[in-house]
Amino acid sequence: MTPPPPEAVAAMIRPAPRRPDSRINRDILSVMEGASLGYWVLLASAVLMVHVAGAIWIYQVYEGLGIAGYVHPVFWGVYIVTFVFWVGIAHAGTLISAILYLFRAKWRNAINRSAEAMTVFAVLTAAQFLGIHVGRIWKSYFILPYPNQRALWVNFKSPLLWDTFAISTYATISAVFLYIGMIPDLAIARDRAVGWRKVLYGALALGWQGTSRHWKAHTRSVLHLSGLATPLVLSVHSVVSWDFAMALVPGWHTTIFGPYFVAGAIFSGFAMVLTMMIPVRRIFGLEEYITDYHLENMSRFLLLTSIIVGYAYASEYFMAWYSGVEAEQTSFWMRAFGPYWISTWIMILCNAVFPQILWFKRVRTHVPTLFVLSVLVNVGMWFERYVIIITGLSREYNPSTWGIYTPSWYELGILAGSFAFFSMFFLVFLKLFPVIAIAEMKELAIHEKAHRQGGAH
Amino acid sequence: MPELDRRDFLKLVGVGAGGAAAAGCSDHVEKLIPYVVQPEVITPGMPVFYASTCRECPAACGLHVRTREGRPIKLEGNPDHPVNRGALCGRGQASIGRTYHPDRFRKPQRRGAAGALEDVSWKEATAALAAKIAERPGGTWVLGGATGPSLSDLIDRFVGAVGAGGRLVYEPLSHDALREASRAVFGAAGLPIFDLSGADYVVDLGADCFETWLSPIEHQRQVLEARDLASAEGRAARMVYVGPRLSMTAGNADEWLPAKAGSEGLVALALANVALARRQAAGQPVGGDAGLLAALLAPYTPEKVAEPTGVDAAALRRVGEQLALAKRPVALPPGPGLASSRAVAASAAALILDAVLGAVGRSVGLPPETPATPEPANLAALEALVAAMNAGRVSVLLIHDSNPVYSLPPQLGFRDALAKVGLVVAFASGPDETTELAGLVLPDHTPLESWGDASSRPGVRGVVQPTIRPLFDTQAFGDVLLDTARAMGDAVGAKLPQGSFRGVVEASWGGSFDAVLARGGSFAPAPLRGGAVQAGAAKLAFRVPELVGEGEHALYAPPSPLLYDGRGAALPWLQETPDPVTKISWQSWLELSHASAEALGVEAGDVVAIETPAGRAEAIAFPRGGIRDDVVALAVGQGHSVGLYASHQNDGRPGEARGASAIALLPSVRDEAGGRAWLVSKARITRTGGHARLALMQKSDNKRGRQLGDAVALAALEGDAHASGHAGPHEVRRPFAAAADATDGSAYRWGMTIDVDKCTGCSACTIACSIENNIPTVGEEQVVRSRLMSWLRIERWIGDGTQELRAGRPPYDDHEQLGRIDVRNSPMLCQQCGAAPCEPVCPVLATYHAPEGLNGMIYNRCIGTRYCSNNCPYKVRRFNWFDYAIHNWPDPMPLMLNPDVTVRCQGVMEKCTFCVQRIDLARQTAKNEGRPIADGEVTPACAQTCPSHAIVFGNLRDEGSAAVRTAEAGGVRAYHALHTLNTRPSISYLARVIRDPSSRIDEDGGHAEAGHHANAMTPSQEGTA
Repeated sequence: MTPPPPEAVAAMIRPAPRRPDSRINRDILSVMEGASLGYWVLLASAVLMVHVAGAIWIYQVYEGLGIAGYVHPVFWGVYIVTFVFWVGIAHAGTLISAILYLFRAKWRNAINRSAEAMTVFAVLTAAQFLGIHVGRIWKSYFILPYPNQRALWVNFKSPLLWDTFAISTYATISAVFLYIGMIPDLAIARDRAVGWRKVLYGALALGWQGTSRHWKAHTRSVLHLSGLATPLVLSVHSVVSWDFAMALVPGWHTTIFGPYFVAGAIFSGFAMVLTMMIPVRRIFGLEEYITDYHLENMSRFLLLTSIIVGYAYASEYFMAWYSGVEAEQTSFWMRAFGPYWISTWIMILCNAVFPQILWFKRVRTHVPTLFVLSVLVNVGMWFERYVIIITGLSREYNPSTWGIYTPSWYELGILAGSFAFFSMFFLVFLKLFPVIAIAEMKELAIHEKAHRQGGAH
Repeated sequence: MPELDRRDFLKLVGVGAGGAAAAGCSDHVEKLIPYVVQPEVITPGMPVFYASTCRECPAACGLHVRTREGRPIKLEGNPDHPVNRGALCGRGQASIGRTYHPDRFRKPQRRGAAGALEDVSWKEATAALAAKIAERPGGTWVLGGATGPSLSDLIDRFVGAVGAGGRLVYEPLSHDALREASRAVFGAAGLPIFDLSGADYVVDLGADCFETWLSPIEHQRQVLEARDLASAEGRAARMVYVGPRLSMTAGNADEWLPAKAGSEGLVALALANVALARRQAAGQPVGGDAGLLAALLAPYTPEKVAEPTGVDAAALRRVGEQLALAKRPVALPPGPGLASSRAVAASAAALILDAVLGAVGRSVGLPPETPATPEPANLAALEALVAAMNAGRVSVLLIHDSNPVYSLPPQLGFRDALAKVGLVVAFASGPDETTELAGLVLPDHTPLESWGDASSRPGVRGVVQPTIRPLFDTQAFGDVLLDTARAMGDAVGAKLPQGSFRGVVEASWGGSFDAVLARGGSFAPAPLRGGAVQAGAAKLAFRVPELVGEGEHALYAPPSPLLYDGRGAALPWLQETPDPVTKISWQSWLELSHASAEALGVEAGDVVAIETPAGRAEAIAFPRGGIRDDVVALAVGQGHSVGLYASHQNDGRPGEARGASAIALLPSVRDEAGGRAWLVSKARITRTGGHARLALMQKSDNKRGRQLGDAVALAALEGDAHASGHAGPHEVRRPFAAAADATDGSAYRWGMTIDVDKCTGCSACTIACSIENNIPTVGEEQVVRSRLMSWLRIERWIGDGTQELRAGRPPYDDHEQLGRIDVRNSPMLCQQCGAAPCEPVCPVLATYHAPEGLNGMIYNRCIGTRYCSNNCPYKVRRFNWFDYAIHNWPDPMPLMLNPDVTVRCQGVMEKCTFCVQRIDLARQTAKNEGRPIADGEVTPACAQTCPSHAIVFGNLRDEGSAAVRTAEAGGVRAYHALHTLNTRPSISYLARVIRDPSSRIDEDGGHAEAGHHANAMTPSQEGTA
């Protein structure tokens, strides 16, 4: 990613002079004010769907996992697919907040708040699936290495245990990151709010006064947190990929999985940011802040990661052929032409083929196309995990136990519920917290001003 | 609460306590306290064994019933019994469930005015029965299955005492034709006895002698012992199968001559023709007048017989000559499924072949002159009974040990005739089609609650003794007869023995009854009786039978290896165990050839209609290569409309028949002598357009050249390294010492050696495992999702497989070929790997490596991530998708749970433990005696019951243990399943031996040259797409 040319930066921040601080405050905070009927309908549907999914889950706990479509030998299904999917979504947030922060890619400022929020909500959603997936949720605390009189310990060799640590660490860091970054904005909100909101923001703003000492501490914390979070971007999804790579299932047991999954995660994360932010900026009139330039930059990221993912697909097939391992070859042949060929081709088309249109600037700047493409990439990335997990398990070493898994309606209900769960948080977030980092936008404006006055930056 | 003072409170407490005490008054008081006065034989926690006899089929195998605290929990074979020698088949294993069956009648019942059954007392019931018999004693008939001699004698005496009309013994698989053929050929009516010990050349003319025919366990043991590869004779032994379909038995043969259904007799005559000439030329004796035989056999040269049988003349000549040269050849006549209207002649032809081969008196014994129990009634006698019923001449019909409404051909009209009988009394222990029509249901004890005996041949009589107090208010049939006779007055009662039926049984054994009970009976088999072919044999007309009806296919209805004649359908374990050949459970399927299926435009899973002159039924099409184009096969056994498991009642559809009954499709046709014929009809098969999801547990028989169910050519055992069947000259298929994979100080590393060459696929081990380890059955809908819980399955592979890749979702992948066998039955269970892939992935250490090398599984610790199963390349782990332990063990089935094995709850993984509870029991005994566990002291349930001793269990750290020695002796045959994954399994397999290279199915689907590599494909030759 090359840094944006100065003209682009200039174009991006051009409106700044016409946006004095108070206007930035008003524009962004206005998102939080009032709510249209449409908003309430959306929120109500999301809450309703979460309840439906919750009811399904309770029924599943009561009745047994058998209500899902599992067949022997496919013992992992839509729940793990969706878990990996949401962990992947969670990646863009930290990438944008931490890595791009360290690289001083200023264009990130417009989207980092929403991306961070998305990260937290996606991790929360993903974490639900660990509980939904296991056979005995009421015993799932066994997975924590807590001291106990029975001298029971956990298995540090198991990738699932690594997963537990990775996910909880990631959830903690990303939540802290989101919160710390938001403190100055919470103070602004506090200053403008009345009633219960004033109490809430007052408490959350931790007495922020905007003094230089405060700012110094804040900047340093964000910097250090970025440093802490950066390796997590690479490690969390690598750990998730080891759930598969450490197993000996044909199609899983490969060394490429770490980078392949990380690239895929960033790919899906950026696609999800696009899917979320394009409607938001349209509905709340934030085009001045989240400009086409931001969208174009994100689509460049999409293109880059799509190429990496496409390379990984090709590499997997090459290695299957080149390895000479019959079970591996069969597994990959089955992916493309076996019972799950539709899923595989959805994956390849959505993830590796369609994004290639992003080579054209006209596409990168055509918002409706970008929106459709981002949705397709989300679909494709869900199917990527589906293909890896399901086809891998359904065609293993012992052909006598080959089986075909089809998700049940219960699982699809919980899948839909996971989107509702995520959307519910995001919708509430829109109305409770500033969706764009106000302070950082102002910072940009100051830089711009200094720049025009001939100062260096 | 100011209103409630102390006195009121105490009053209330008193009322509450009294109520609770009153509610606690029930018939059975369960005591959770230790015995105050401990019964002499019971030590809590220790099993007590009782010898008894299996009553599941007429073979009457000896049992050791394992009981715990007064409850039978497992059946094992009696090692002393000459028939089964410690083994037991799947039906025998599952029969323990009859005692704990939720369907069982709790009390005697009488059909009320409204048609529903109402409870009555035994006294009332017996009085009513006695009164009814007394009304018209001559109108009383007894109809029932084969019983032991004591009960049989008692029935006869009862019939005499009350002056009843008569008694018919009724067995659906009665071998009428064979009984008659024995009379025609040797002048001795009855069932000949087949002793296949040392038989080095067996021609099974469709007998399916490993499944249901006469004495299947005995035949399996004898044939496989005779084929033992350790001796030159064993390596030279051959088995040839003649029949229209690759049955389970056929899969164990070396050569298959797929003769037209019903033409087996002609094949036998052609073989006899060739063998006679050869033996006469060699000066060997032939069993009868040579001139008579020569004249009889002259018209049946292989060339002439080739056309009507569809078997190549050269093959007939070759097999005939090999038979003549063999040391102990024997031919087995067609089984009941192939009994046609010409069945007597066909069976006689097989017996003539035996005579020509000199097998009579050596491997074939003539029936005893005085049978212990009466011969079963043939179809003609049953027709006469139905006629008498229709004519109103039968006023009371006592039906015991059989279900004639289901198992008689509907065309016989038995069902309608029952309506004309004054009182139908059923003595079944649970509901079936017959009890539905009975006016009085007097539930019998199950065999585990009964006294009795059983004898399948002269000199061998097993005792049946109760091992549990009757669970319900039931009475033994014998006791009901005695009580009824007494209720008819002293004059009648005095003609019968006094006391109870137990006394009758005891009195029938002279000498010490205790010794009999300890041993399980008296076992002194009489020597086989010889005999010569009589002149009358020439009068038989040997012909291919005419079939009634229209259609392109003959309808072949073989007995089901698991459900037998349908009696097994009530037992969920038999329903759920995959069929040994097709691997389908719970359903009815119609086997047809691929060509027939193509002509009809159906594929596996499509529902087809089968029409015969007797009726119409629907079944699921199952195309396979192992069946002739002109035959369709529908196994007998399904199609029950009554019973929790036999019908769809357990699926919430009571009264709906499960699958199709083959019997209902067969017209009522007699053979030459009035016996029941089964191969009688053609069938018109049509598509219905319906589709069903098959409850199919193995969807491909193609092992793709992977190291599962391997085979080597016989030549490899004789030192021809080229023919060893290894994928490459340098491949080491047992690359490590499995004994190493236990804790350093441990004296034990448990392991197994499984001989694929000896595994017949009978699946007895599977059911034994389920009963031993409290494994629930899950039902058809769950099996459709492959959620079978069985820890042990028999994989059935055809040949080495091909690496062909089939696009889309093929319902089933079948590589059988007509006339070729190359079946490898490979038991697959937890390999207890030394480097187990399941262990490192469990986050909570619920599965771990135990010090003695076992992969422990801690159910209480499991949280159900199911990662272990994903990582198991053998796919032997099973998951509790539902709370099967609660839902699938309806009362009183929990009483049969093995108290040594944890019952698993919803959400945990489970798998084979090598019967760790048995290891622990042996360890305790050894520890008490201050010695290590001896070899052979621990036998897991699967190995214990295996009729062919294919599974050997032992300590791999003991160089002298049978498991180690067997694996060593296997030489080039020994391999580990999927050894390339380096999981270090503790189970060594011994490859199937291909004795006849022409039967091999290679990866191109054609003949392989002798000595061709078993795994000739090197995977890298095959690219991916």
